[in-house]
Amino acid sequence: MKKSVLLWLLFVCSFAVQPVRAQFLKKLKEKANQAVNKTLGTGETNSNANSSSASQDNNTYGGKPTNKGGGGLKNTTPPDVQQQIADAETAHTAAKYSDARYSIQQALVGVEIQLGREILKSLPNPVVALEKDTTQDKVSSTQWGWNNLTIQRVYSDKKDKQLTVTIGNNALYAGMANLYFNNAYGVQADASNQNIKQTKVKGNKAIIQYEDSKGYTLMVSMGQSAMIVWECINFADENEVMAAANSFDIDGIKKSLGEQ
Amino acid sequence: MRSFIIAVCFVTAGYPSIAQGDFKTQIATAKKSYSAGKLEDTHFALQQALQELDMIIGKEVLKIMPQKIDSLNANPKDDHVAANVGFVGATIHRSYGTQRNAEVEIINNSPMVNTLNAFLNSGMLGGMVRDENTKVVKVQGYKSRLEKQGDNANGKPNYHLQIPFSNALMTVTANGMTEEQVLALANSFPLQDIAKLVQ
Repeated sequence: MKKSVLLWLLFVCSFAVQPVRAQFLKKLKEKANQAVNKTLGTGETNSNANSSSASQDNNTYGGKPTNKGGGGLKNTTPPDVQQQIADAETAHTAAKYSDARYSIQQALVGVEIQLGREILKSLPNPVVALEKDTTQDKVSSTQWGWNNLTIQRVYSDKKDKQLTVTIGNNALYAGMANLYFNNAYGVQADASNQNIKQTKVKGNKAIIQYEDSKGYTLMVSMGQSAMIVWECINFADENEVMAAANSFDIDGIKKSLGEQ
Repeated sequence: MRSFIIAVCFVTAGYPSIAQGDFKTQIATAKKSYSAGKLEDTHFALQQALQELDMIIGKEVLKIMPQKIDSLNANPKDDHVAANVGFVGATIHRSYGTQRNAEVEIINNSPMVNTLNAFLNSGMLGGMVRDENTKVVKVQGYKSRLEKQGDNANGKPNYHLQIPFSNALMTVTANGMTEEQVLALANSFPLQDIAKLVQ
């Protein structure tokens, strides 16, 4: 009996280095422990079981340790716009044009992040009974200083229904969306199903799309380069999606982004 | 005719000070708008200031580029700087020679430069784009892509050389030159100094 238990344990240990089978191993290990305890009474072989679990916890497969946690990065404050402008002026006067350019880019990032935060504040809450989840609020801006602001907010019922709204002023993305708007073939339909179609949200041209795996996606092009996208998971139908979109002040967002 | 030349000289001479004046105007507007909480106006003024800076930087680059390379003289009337804030920073253009000639274009602050760098520094991607007309060469230590583009009307070869350096991309289009002449031409540009200006 003892021999068979030990063989059983060896079998378990030989598989312990394969993390992809972790769940399977866990069950096997439990079974083995139960069998050992039942046979030997106290935990004589617990050290074996523990060493197996330790090697798994350390995750040192391949000789390289994996990171188990850390303090992460602290949020940096957005660049101080006034300071950056002053730095740009100083660099420009000293004919250090590259430094002046860098400071202007930093000032632009600072302005864009403030702009994004103001837009986030102005977004409605709740939206079709979904509450905002501010832990997932995002405002990002890139250093290129032109049309690179992205704002994101998530609304959720804390179960399986979720709305993610993304607002961006990137000419490249908006250009791609405009291809849809201006392309007669952008509307796909066959005799029974239609999974993409053009519509309007508060008078603005929009595209709505449905995929079983992703749910509803609604895109509205705002002005020359801005765009707003709603991704709706587990919404009942397109009417509910449109109701959610209509609760947003699109004109206000457009104005904040300087679009016409 | 004389008055026309004087007028052109006046406009050309006056441009740098106008550009610099514009930078200061845009900065003043940005400061005023920011104090008033008008973020979008601040954003627009800063973008304009960035554009002015790109123009100034482009003109500084033209100043340090050689006036003559081998027997090819620069064509000052073709000098051109176009600022295009954001996706592509500025485009700086100069041409050399007449019959046997070369055109040089520098694009700075462009994210597209990274794409070319990825090609040049990745063995797999580099191999995919290489054929009998294309090869990777080094110009002042920078990996560059040299492409032969057929022959000109006199049966002499044309070349296209792309040199990514710092965050800029220099493209040399040479007509009627040998490969050695193209590389000698590219090696006569002060790439390190240009990199300092455009970084």
